[in-house]
Amino acid sequence: MDAVGSLLDGFRVALLPLNLGLAFGGVVVGTVVGMLPGIGPINAIAVLIPITFAVRMSPESALILLAGIYYGSQYGNSISTILLNVPGTASSVPTAFDGYAMTRAGRASVALATAAIASFVGGTLSIFGLILLAPLLARWAIRFGPAEYFALMVFAFAALSGLAGKAPRKAAVSTGLGLLLGTVGLDPFSSVARYTFGQIKLLDGMDFVVVTIGLFAVSEVFHMLESASAGPPVTGVGRVMHSVRETVVARWSMIRGSAIGFLIGVLPGAGGTIASFLAYTSEQRLVDRQGRFGKGDIRGVAAPEAANNAAATGAMIPLLTLGIPGSGTTAVLLGALLGLNVKPGPLLMDRNPEVFWGLAASMYIGNLLLLILNLPLVGVFAAILRLPRWSLFPGVAALSFVAVYAVNSSVLDLILMTGFGLLGYAMRKLGIPLAPLILGLVLGPLAETNLRRSLALSGGDWGVLFSSPVAIALWILAAGSAILPAVLGWSGRRVVAGDGEGQGLTS
Amino acid sequence: MTARSDRIAGVAALLIALALAVEARTFTVEFLTDPLGPSALPLFAAALLAGGGLLMALKPEAEPGWPDAAGRARAVVAGLSFLAYAWLLSPLGFVLATALEGAVLARVFGGKILHCVTAGTVISAALYGLFGWALGLPLPVGSLIAGLVS
Repeated sequence: MDAVGSLLDGFRVALLPLNLGLAFGGVVVGTVVGMLPGIGPINAIAVLIPITFAVRMSPESALILLAGIYYGSQYGNSISTILLNVPGTASSVPTAFDGYAMTRAGRASVALATAAIASFVGGTLSIFGLILLAPLLARWAIRFGPAEYFALMVFAFAALSGLAGKAPRKAAVSTGLGLLLGTVGLDPFSSVARYTFGQIKLLDGMDFVVVTIGLFAVSEVFHMLESASAGPPVTGVGRVMHSVRETVVARWSMIRGSAIGFLIGVLPGAGGTIASFLAYTSEQRLVDRQGRFGKGDIRGVAAPEAANNAAATGAMIPLLTLGIPGSGTTAVLLGALLGLNVKPGPLLMDRNPEVFWGLAASMYIGNLLLLILNLPLVGVFAAILRLPRWSLFPGVAALSFVAVYAVNSSVLDLILMTGFGLLGYAMRKLGIPLAPLILGLVLGPLAETNLRRSLALSGGDWGVLFSSPVAIALWILAAGSAILPAVLGWSGRRVVAGDGEGQGLTS
Repeated sequence: MTARSDRIAGVAALLIALALAVEARTFTVEFLTDPLGPSALPLFAAALLAGGGLLMALKPEAEPGWPDAAGRARAVVAGLSFLAYAWLLSPLGFVLATALEGAVLARVFGGKILHCVTAGTVISAALYGLFGWALGLPLPVGSLIAGLVS
């Protein structure tokens, strides 16, 4: 396949004025929501999905906007992490170790410049990885039948539940709830109504946008109501542009962080949190001979920031080429694509080349825009952190209402959203991870269809699930990723220790 | 007293799973469409939920820090205001209902009266301008307002 020609076509799509504007809007919104503690990319994406449907945006434009929010939020996240020591997601926790130490030492501008440049390096290098790896993976996956897809989806569930939860029993509760919510509506095989309780509106199924906005955005409002006090004060930013030259010493840390982040990001379930922790600890082992990590070492900011941006891009590969999301945010993106009538999978690059290559080109442009925006304007963004809570959270709530109402102008949806908001709040407080629920809701119906189709083809013989080497390999991977964290308890548990607020799953 | 939340949540998950499993037994078809049928996944998911819930009840973790009485009151007011918003949206229309809701929430988040009025007005006007006017989303005008105008 002529990747260069396709990429040029992709740039043609991405450089259309509308798409360029959406990429710009996406990364700006992403920076802001990534920075504001407790809002996060998953909320912003969930809120914007029904709006992209309502204004009949083309799939590639919608994906350019939503992906811009996803990777833009990683930049914004580093701002609040460095200035306030408030990592919005677990994937930014390692950045706080050295980034906040630098702020306290009066070197916030250097830390912010490092984070912006490292994010750019991680984001850009991993786009090359995406362009090289995605076609290979798609060509390999093109022979997959329903049995292989089912095994792959079980792998995604096992990986996310095994790695993302402190307690497997809580991940099981969340997965079970998500799968059950996914079955609401007419069964596609037999047209039996499942769990509709006589409500005609539920025959089409539970709208995942309503569930997602309730679970994440509304529950965040409840969560923020707990304490009446405002956050810590914002310190001055300094002149970030003048600090760019100081970041050169961290160039190899950025490149190593990018490689680690990309490889981890491609794996389902692992995601940005593990990527940034792994990048930080391996960098520390490799270069920290004087014990300066944790006391404001610039390389301790560069490595995890490059890694979590690279992981965000890497996570797009299984999503686009296999249709398998590995995290809460990519599960929401999958829901958006399905709603736009784009079926991600090995055929995506042939059937919707403008979606795949347009996105790849637009991510390149978006990262460049982020760098240009972030270096001189980080002070402007940081000023938003001074917004009082009484203006911010009512705005978040009202935006959620608009989004939910835009889905199908239904008052019942607003009530359901409130109910899911309370459920999400209770789950967070009890330490039940939310990502498996979203994965179950989006992926459950697809997994069920593939399982039932393969069993229908084999006449009820379960052996069909293990009949190809690829399927067997995937089952072994699934079993391994479910068991491994229990065996190596330290890795899974220590890494996601900061995950208690439920935001870590947005990585 | 300790670890009560996990026990209650675990038992609740178990009971919900049992109820949904009983309901799943009614998903039957006259003719065989596929070997698994429509009740297999719901039963599996209910088993997962029940198993997880049972283990949570048996092996509870430490209590999370639940909010104090004032925090609970704020949450109740906010939750009721969400439901009131759903109920008032059609009669009052988007602009008025959103301005009221924004003001109530700003108050719950500790804003002064003047802050609340500003927040409600600005949020409502900004969202209507962006989504109703610029993007053309069909936001309700309000039956009461429409009645007054005509």
